[in-house]
Amino acid sequence: MAHKKIFLDYKRCIGCKACEVACEMTHGEARIKVFEFPDLFTVPFNCRHCEKAPCLNVCPTGALFRDEDGAVAFDPLKCIGCLMCAVACPFGVPKLDEENKIMDKCDLCADRREEGLLPACVSACPTEALKFGEINEVLWNREGKIVANLKSSAEKGEGEEAYLIL
Amino acid sequence: MPMAEKLVPVVCPWCSVGCRFYAVSANGYIRRIEFDYDHPTIANRGKLCPKGVASYQFINSPKRLKKPLRRVGEKGEGKFEEISWEEAYKIIASKIREIKETYGPEAIAFLGSEKITLEENYLVHKLSKAIGTNHLDFPGRYCQYSNSPARTMVFGSAAATNPFEDIAKAELIVIWGHNPAETAPVLFGQYIEKALDNGAEMVVIDPRSTRGHKYASLHLKPYPGTDLAIALAMLNVVITEELYDKEFVQERTTGFEGLKESVKDYTPEWAEKISGVPAEEIRKVARLIATKRTAFLVNEGMNQHVNGLNTAIAIANLIAITGNIGKEGVWSGVFPGAQCGFCAAMSGIAPNKLPTGKLVTDEAAREELERLWGFPIPDWIGLDLTTMVREIGNKIRMMYIVGGNIAKSMPNSGWVREQLKKLDFLVVQDIFLTETAMYADIVLPAAAWFEKTGTAISAERRVQRTYKAAEAPGEAKPDWLIIVELAKELGLGEYFKYEHPDEVLREINKVIPVFKGATPEYLAEHPEGCFFPCSEPGEGTKILFKNGFKTPDGKAHLQPVDWREPPEMPDEEYPFWLTNFRLVGHWHTGTMSFESPSLQKRWPEEYVMINPKDAKTLGIKSGDLVKVSTRRGSILVRAEVTEHIREGVIAMPWHWQANFLTLDEINEKTKMAELKAVAAKVEKVEE
Repeated sequence: MAHKKIFLDYKRCIGCKACEVACEMTHGEARIKVFEFPDLFTVPFNCRHCEKAPCLNVCPTGALFRDEDGAVAFDPLKCIGCLMCAVACPFGVPKLDEENKIMDKCDLCADRREEGLLPACVSACPTEALKFGEINEVLWNREGKIVANLKSSAEKGEGEEAYLIL
Repeated sequence: MPMAEKLVPVVCPWCSVGCRFYAVSANGYIRRIEFDYDHPTIANRGKLCPKGVASYQFINSPKRLKKPLRRVGEKGEGKFEEISWEEAYKIIASKIREIKETYGPEAIAFLGSEKITLEENYLVHKLSKAIGTNHLDFPGRYCQYSNSPARTMVFGSAAATNPFEDIAKAELIVIWGHNPAETAPVLFGQYIEKALDNGAEMVVIDPRSTRGHKYASLHLKPYPGTDLAIALAMLNVVITEELYDKEFVQERTTGFEGLKESVKDYTPEWAEKISGVPAEEIRKVARLIATKRTAFLVNEGMNQHVNGLNTAIAIANLIAITGNIGKEGVWSGVFPGAQCGFCAAMSGIAPNKLPTGKLVTDEAAREELERLWGFPIPDWIGLDLTTMVREIGNKIRMMYIVGGNIAKSMPNSGWVREQLKKLDFLVVQDIFLTETAMYADIVLPAAAWFEKTGTAISAERRVQRTYKAAEAPGEAKPDWLIIVELAKELGLGEYFKYEHPDEVLREINKVIPVFKGATPEYLAEHPEGCFFPCSEPGEGTKILFKNGFKTPDGKAHLQPVDWREPPEMPDEEYPFWLTNFRLVGHWHTGTMSFESPSLQKRWPEEYVMINPKDAKTLGIKSGDLVKVSTRRGSILVRAEVTEHIREGVIAMPWHWQANFLTLDEINEKTKMAELKAVAAKVEKVEE
């Protein structure tokens, strides 16, 4: 079964950093970061919860584990702060919690999911640039929109510009 | 034993989108917020911006005022001693009596606030009238006082014509001197982006590239304060090319011939010379506006100019002749910067208004209110905020400021501070020791937004109730209670018999006709609120002007306006246009947002935007310390060299000290100052 993840639609993002602040208010530190580019494009980026997660594979203590929703979650009691996960992660996601000398990473808001709530960053995102769902569900929605826009653009006779509004 | 958590529904305390969420409260403290996805018809549909998510942080700041203070040092020095509430009320009441006896009540001025509830503004208004003064205003004078009077002149009423959901149904979004992606991200994401999803086109008119700019098909970059020329040229194009809505103009407007005559020389080529925007682009946008269902999102970039009134009238004319009003799928209106801008405006916080919406000079209206209130009401027109400050030490001897920070927010703020020193007596009621409170004789600690129950009104005219979720620190009290207790001390207790804000709202239901149906009971049961005018509970008005306008003859009154230069233009000594803008993470003068660690960390300091070509000439690189000067003074800031500002223009976020540099020249009708277009110079400072 496909796992639920946070998908990022950078075209919708306006760089307001509501996701960062929502994450910080929930976890004390923001585990999602909005990258800003000089051309006003902004990309929010969080843990990808990889299907083949290198961090999880290298964790020597089992502190990192896959939870039932598919998130790469984290047990702080088992972590020894060896930093292997940080080294293995291709995106530089796990960070050292300097105070406790253990790692800290996105767990897709395990506590919130338990209560049937969306991850905090997704709940907040005012533009819906962050979406929580299964990959096929998200992709089909996106494809559906692309087709609808192509159709309406074709009706208006501006088919070649259809991609611009997606 | 674990403390019981409760979800308290609150309206967000920052901008005027009117977002709702829950404050998760335990034992008088807010532990966190939770998004409200339970009520899909609320404006924000559960979503929040960074300010909303971090909204309760400031109430826990150690800098909160906890006890009444009496000044012991010099004015502005910030030295105070703590006193008791009884002592504070006694001092204020005896001073009010003394000033009334010596100079008359017309020496006392009151300021309401766009940050306090409808009930509290209403009580500030009632107290000022009970004391006998009509010198009453609020800092919104520098917010919507171009667009609001302009729309009232043309349509008879200023408020937003449609709910936000109509923005999503528009075919064209015109963002004019507005930066909704930063000032109102939820509006941008939930309504403007939805319109774009539906195939709408977007046009931006701004000297800066704002956050939402990447979605625009056209970006017109006029020099600050020259957008009036663009509006006039658009009228010219729509009329000369006969693109206007002929049926609408014929049936629902007056004055078209005069308008036609007045704009005949304002060609796009003429406007190009003044604004620097290519004539062809002006033509293109004018044609789009005339042929599509258009949502006009207009804000401070257009408002805060001496010629802003003319620009706003020209835009209102444009809206009218293109028929973009009184139907579904269009939007235009004023967009207050704060959650309660309408609370102040609609409770008549103005020098010439009664809370009923009528004028103080209207004898019958005054008599009716005297019957309701039970005391005589002064019949003269008072002074607006600008004139009040100019008259300090002369006509004005005492000011009572609730929640405003005019020592930082008013133009040419250095001069304002000097004026405040000349007051015989100043009372400031606020939650922090603001720059203005530093000049006060008595400072009263107020409860913050989350610490009281009351009514807020959003930009789309949505009236909503917000509830108390936390206990105020120390001896701080809600503004409504402070006013009531002070009134009792003044011997006016019989007119201020309120134990709870609900009782004030019930009185408002009787006194202010447009809120008749917004009862505390209805609003408690309906978190999504109601749209004013609401004649009966449950009977709000979503779209205005469907059939007639609020003018005496029911028609839109088209008004000819002329080109008017901004009062200060760049010259050899000050070669740049200086303008300013808002950041998503800060709000107003930073009183509250500077005390929110999550916001302060991400938006830590001011800077000045300079175009790369200008920066090269001056030898400035990003990060350099530069001195920005105008004829009022100079400040040191870091430079940000960026393509997002046009050549010849520099821009700074205004939350810090930009108004130290701005110009206090005013529009004689609206008293709006020139806050967004002044002549400036930039010099690199050797470090």
